[in-house]
Amino acid sequence: MTTATAHRSLSATDRSRLVIDVSNAGSIAAPYWPLTAFVAVNPLGGLTDLSFAEAAAAARGWFGARTHLPLDAYRTEHACGTVTDADLDRAILRHQPTLADAPSLDLGRLRVDPLDIVRWDLLHGPTADQAPRRGTGSVATALDEIMTGWCAAFVDEAHTPWPMPDRDRGFYRSWRVAAGADRRLAAVIGRDARARLKELPDDPAELLDLALRERGIDDEGRVHAIRTWILRTPGWAGLARWCDEWAPADRSGVRLRMLDLAAVRAAMDHLAPDHLDLSGPDATSSGVQAVSIERRADAAAAAFGADGHRAAIVELLEAFDEADRAAIWLSAHEWNFRDRLLARLTGPAAGTSPERPAAQLVFCIDVRSEGVRRRLEALGAYDTYGFAGFFGVPVRWRPLGSEIAQARCPVLVSPRHEVVEVAIDDDARYLSTRSATAGLHDAFYAAKGGIASPFALAESAGWFAGPVAAARTLAPPRTRLDTAVGAIAKRPWWKPFGATPRTAPVVDTVTSVDLRSGLSLEERTLFAEAIVTTIGMAEFAPVVVLCGHASITTNNPHASSLDCGACGGAPGGASARIAAAILNDIDVRVGLVERGITIPDTTWFVAAEHDTAADLVRIFDRDVIPAAIRPLVDALQRDLDSAGERNSLDRAQRLPGSAARVRDRGRDWAEVRPEWGLAGNGAFIIGPRSMTAAHDLRGRSFLHSYVAESDPDGVALETIMTAPLVVAQWISSQYYFSTVEPEVFGAGDKMLHNPVGGIGVVVGQSGDLAVGLPMQSVMLGEQRAHDPLRLLAIVQAPLDRIERIILRNSGLRQLVEGEWIHVVGRGSDNDAWSLRTPGGGWEPWHLADASMAEHRTSLSHTDLSIPLSI
Amino acid sequence: MTTWTDLPAMAKIEVVIDGDDVPAMRDLFLDSGATGYTAVSGVSGFGHHGHHQGRLLFNDRASLSMLITVVPIERAEGLIAGIRRLLDDRHGVLFVSETHVSRPDYFT
Repeated sequence: MTTATAHRSLSATDRSRLVIDVSNAGSIAAPYWPLTAFVAVNPLGGLTDLSFAEAAAAARGWFGARTHLPLDAYRTEHACGTVTDADLDRAILRHQPTLADAPSLDLGRLRVDPLDIVRWDLLHGPTADQAPRRGTGSVATALDEIMTGWCAAFVDEAHTPWPMPDRDRGFYRSWRVAAGADRRLAAVIGRDARARLKELPDDPAELLDLALRERGIDDEGRVHAIRTWILRTPGWAGLARWCDEWAPADRSGVRLRMLDLAAVRAAMDHLAPDHLDLSGPDATSSGVQAVSIERRADAAAAAFGADGHRAAIVELLEAFDEADRAAIWLSAHEWNFRDRLLARLTGPAAGTSPERPAAQLVFCIDVRSEGVRRRLEALGAYDTYGFAGFFGVPVRWRPLGSEIAQARCPVLVSPRHEVVEVAIDDDARYLSTRSATAGLHDAFYAAKGGIASPFALAESAGWFAGPVAAARTLAPPRTRLDTAVGAIAKRPWWKPFGATPRTAPVVDTVTSVDLRSGLSLEERTLFAEAIVTTIGMAEFAPVVVLCGHASITTNNPHASSLDCGACGGAPGGASARIAAAILNDIDVRVGLVERGITIPDTTWFVAAEHDTAADLVRIFDRDVIPAAIRPLVDALQRDLDSAGERNSLDRAQRLPGSAARVRDRGRDWAEVRPEWGLAGNGAFIIGPRSMTAAHDLRGRSFLHSYVAESDPDGVALETIMTAPLVVAQWISSQYYFSTVEPEVFGAGDKMLHNPVGGIGVVVGQSGDLAVGLPMQSVMLGEQRAHDPLRLLAIVQAPLDRIERIILRNSGLRQLVEGEWIHVVGRGSDNDAWSLRTPGGGWEPWHLADASMAEHRTSLSHTDLSIPLSI
Repeated sequence: MTTWTDLPAMAKIEVVIDGDDVPAMRDLFLDSGATGYTAVSGVSGFGHHGHHQGRLLFNDRASLSMLITVVPIERAEGLIAGIRRLLDDRHGVLFVSETHVSRPDYFT
């Protein structure tokens, strides 16, 4: 094939329009955070300006992806009782309100309520049950494979001995230089590939212009055409979106730009003998494989004994196409969960003890905190709170001996400060040992990743590494459960030199080690005030624990997905230490008094970290805890140990394998499921702990403390609803779509993962970058461990305050009115719950099935639809 | 005597857009040859889409931002074409005005 269209230099106007077209085209791809700081995102986050239903239809068309569970899976939920007929009826009538007053259908001998027919069709009607998939040809598939290989080679940060040439000039230019030697590419596009590659323009924008004009794409069709090229590799497109829009400005390494990604795939398509269809999905199609209405009507007519009256049933069912059926099932499933949870939370709240608690503990809002909080509260006079795990201090954290500072805050915030960890003891030995260890580590992995060196490595180190690997497999290490005083600081026998010294975060600018780190007194005081006021803490116990969380696992590329999302996918201990240091600062406390907050001199803030894989809570910086409260802290540590043990037994019921080893799973390098993470998450509860303290919420709810009376102007609630709630919605969506469509929006089977480029994984030997969560994070074999539901936000605050916040924050408003999240609220314990309707305003909530209210008290352990058998 | 009108004339381009759209706009500025820009995040106000909240404590993306750049007049047309393309599908407003600068070499 010869190129009929000559390339041209782009005018400034054409170039800038093209740059925006690429940006618009790429906006459908959710950003992909590298696995070093994996951040949960909504895979349809680029479509949240549409309603959930519209976005789902667009996703089915563009990604060829399923957006709901198969109907059979919903029917199984119905058979299990986690969706009832009453839930279905309510969902049907919400979808088609006119059905409530519709006359009965005359089916000859029978008169049947149309609602009965629709419900029957949902429960028993024939289904297609096939995931939509993009049509594709062999040439396109071959080019996709080649494309993913080049993407991996370009972004490689794992120090490949032979990097691609000219990487600093961008992906397209680098690829164009190197691709002439690609025999697989030549096999697809022909023998003259090298010469034709040379003829391509050097500028990626000019290449795109050429490819678009060659295909006769007009102005209107350009975004669809570019999007088609980009979405041939949606995973890599996600990384490009991250590079373009989210990567830190000071990040080193190459940048995969969306413009380059589109240009390379367009170039391949331009040179290929068969071209992609660039027209985009059919906008008139729901994107769902459909069973004909006639077939469904025949089945319903037969079931109701009305074979001769098909026409009336066809007319009725025409209002319920395949996409509608899936949407109704999802809605019914959500109503069931909502009813059960709200029924539980209706009525008088748990009373609060008049006595001063022995300790207050602030945990992350993460759903995994709920269990250990409940267990701890049962053991003593402890008050617990929920707050985003970065404790409101958005900083970059630079650990001892490191030159790299990592953001420890939600990705929605750009950290403006850096905090450095410094040694209190002499750290020279530690740093030299650390440096030597890091050198050995680098040398080992460089040899392992080389071309020929692995053979030499096997010869020289195999005698040692082989038996060690065998031992780790046959007898995986166990978690050290000893958290007693001094146990952590004890130097292990195998580490005679260079044990970790005592350290502290330097939070102020006066004693800071350099000019770029530390926070001013004004800033520290502001953050301290935000922590205290956001959760409504009015009185202070002698000990206040700020407890971050992390998940200590091994041989797990997705390890950071189990760490703290509020800390940007990093362990939360550092944030707890920083916040505690700020709140223990005498100058800060003086500043807080001026702002109306008095923290007693006898109160000490203690930092801790909850290892969610082992259910261990470790307290940091014990040596600086005042002697007067050490006995309290020791007693608290013992109760934390007990609470952790009990919580781990609860978790063991849901995890496969031996309950006795549930706390060791994270240390086992052969374990694909160290914990369930946030699987099961379904609700985000904003209110005082007294709302939820009496209930076992089965680790399904994010819990954010909030006291409406302490926040008359709504500033704290606005902060919660515009940041933690939004992050939780991303997490919820990631679990949702990883469950309903593990192939497209999930990361597939963990057993087949191969790390690629130091930034992600591919499934198998090659392929697109795997986004989302591994199958083992949401499934156990064929059984789901997560209920794919949209997030339910439950807020105890005056409804007009909630409404005002929703209306003045456009992003939040889109989420609520587009039904990406459901919001319910009530002003106080004594008020009834109200539902925020998508169109604005509130309506009273009531149970679909009134009998549930009578059984509310018996629902304590077996309701909420998490599969309990696992 | 030299007056301000004797200073070299340039085009000042101001856009108010969603925080989420700032990266695309920033890249467009730089791709179009702007030598720099000023960004003001957390812009509040009232307009076509009602009231807009200002800075939020823990979300830099959810509020409006204002980006300001100054380019030689001959470069403005291309940049404006891109901005208008972006605003076809997204919220925001664009202001273009003539301005005079004391250090033209900063902007070319």
